[in-house]
Amino acid sequence: MKRPLGTIAGARSGDKGGDANLGVWVRSDAAYEWLNGFLTVEKLKELLPEAGEVSRYELPNLRALNFVLHGLLGDGVASSTRFDPQAKALGEWLRSREAEIPEELL
Amino acid sequence: MTALRIGNASGFYGDRLSAMREQLEGGELDVLTGDYLAELTMLILGRDRMKDSSLGYAKTFMRQMEDCLALALDQGVKIVVNAGGLNPEGLARKLDAKVGYVTGDDLRSRFPEALTANAYLGAWEIAECLEQGAQVVVTGRVTDASLVVGPAAAHFGWARDDWDRLAGATVAGHVLECGTQATGGNYSFFTEIDVTRPGFPIAEIDEDGSCLITKHEGTGGAVTVDTVTAQLLYEIGAPEYLGPDVTTHFDTIRLDEHPRGVRISGTKGSPPPETLKVCLNTLGGFRNSATFVLTGLDVEEKAELVKRQLVNAIGEDGLTWTLARTDRPDAETEEQASALLHVMIKTTDPKRAKAFSRSGIELALASYPGFHVTAPPSDGTPFGVYRAAYVPRDEVQAKAVML
Repeated sequence: MKRPLGTIAGARSGDKGGDANLGVWVRSDAAYEWLNGFLTVEKLKELLPEAGEVSRYELPNLRALNFVLHGLLGDGVASSTRFDPQAKALGEWLRSREAEIPEELL
Repeated sequence: MTALRIGNASGFYGDRLSAMREQLEGGELDVLTGDYLAELTMLILGRDRMKDSSLGYAKTFMRQMEDCLALALDQGVKIVVNAGGLNPEGLARKLDAKVGYVTGDDLRSRFPEALTANAYLGAWEIAECLEQGAQVVVTGRVTDASLVVGPAAAHFGWARDDWDRLAGATVAGHVLECGTQATGGNYSFFTEIDVTRPGFPIAEIDEDGSCLITKHEGTGGAVTVDTVTAQLLYEIGAPEYLGPDVTTHFDTIRLDEHPRGVRISGTKGSPPPETLKVCLNTLGGFRNSATFVLTGLDVEEKAELVKRQLVNAIGEDGLTWTLARTDRPDAETEEQASALLHVMIKTTDPKRAKAFSRSGIELALASYPGFHVTAPPSDGTPFGVYRAAYVPRDEVQAKAVML
């Protein structure tokens, strides 16, 4: 079913210099198995077209994925001309994007 | 050996002023920490220091000490903060207690072009101050987690290669460093808990480096596996989390619900890198911005007109335009009928930053129909450029000083 990703996933995002980080987690092992297969770098870039170079890390112990969006914030917080220069709401933007979520996870 | 109760009373420079008192009065603690520094804060403090070399520390911490130092001393709670910013000695000398401070992070002699240049120091100088009986420890740029690792290492007598213990305490420090972000603040599932006024977090650290994340009884918010997971994911990169004290493997952390919060265990550590990270801020120039409100029909054309007019007046160098189509057709409120055109200027010339807003406002009766802006014009402000550098750790002379 097409639903916002945030129906089952939480997220927290922030800044590290000119990079943004975006952690996404879910609340069951079944949901993590799905998320890990679904949310590839390509899918993330499709959902967040503003992303450029992206690194992806898996944290199965936390049922989480962590993404680093390189260079999204230019020369860092004080200098960035981007809307939301500290990437505080990047995670909430991702959660609002719609995805085909298996019905048994909803 | 009983657990060491370490609280946090600040996640940034500007956090809830009453948090220190709330943490001291809300229940028992052994140590109270506070994080006041971020990349951007170092720049703000650098500008303070330019104006007055006796400044450069977090002034809000002084206000908290005026209110709470006697209470903390009376309860035997040790205070460990990085509020010293760019001037830990200056701050330490203002406090009437047995104070230790940590110095050696300032590397401006090595990076003369920078307004601020500070190595991220670690936990061991904090531990040394505490071992020498400090009631208050004031540091400059240490890693946020070191504020927790230092007191734990001193209390339990850990060795410098107790990697798993140090990693466990680093995780506790990472959870605590942003204050209420661990207890339900800025939390995706905020509708499931009451976060009207979240309490500040506490880590009860055990001798093996594992801990219980909790908060004082009766405070708001919640400590759950989900709120702690959210904070663990904040501002991290690869699972090998590099710090000056230890490399912490975030993919080994184990979280378990507990009647009073969340148990964190299992964390593995390995030796830290041979280099220390340095936070560099240089002045980048001046910035100014304006937001034009474009209401109703012809939004794109309205944007084009005002762009053309502003570029004619001051040239296009350094301008960044963003048209946010927040409008919708046939809207029932004026606000919903309006789009926002943001323009920002970045320039090395302060006069041009000022001319920008004057030129913008001169258009008020000469531009698109419905012209208005969201804020009055300002003179613009200086902005910094942040960059990280890395230096060999044996070239940085971190030092603990007792007053």
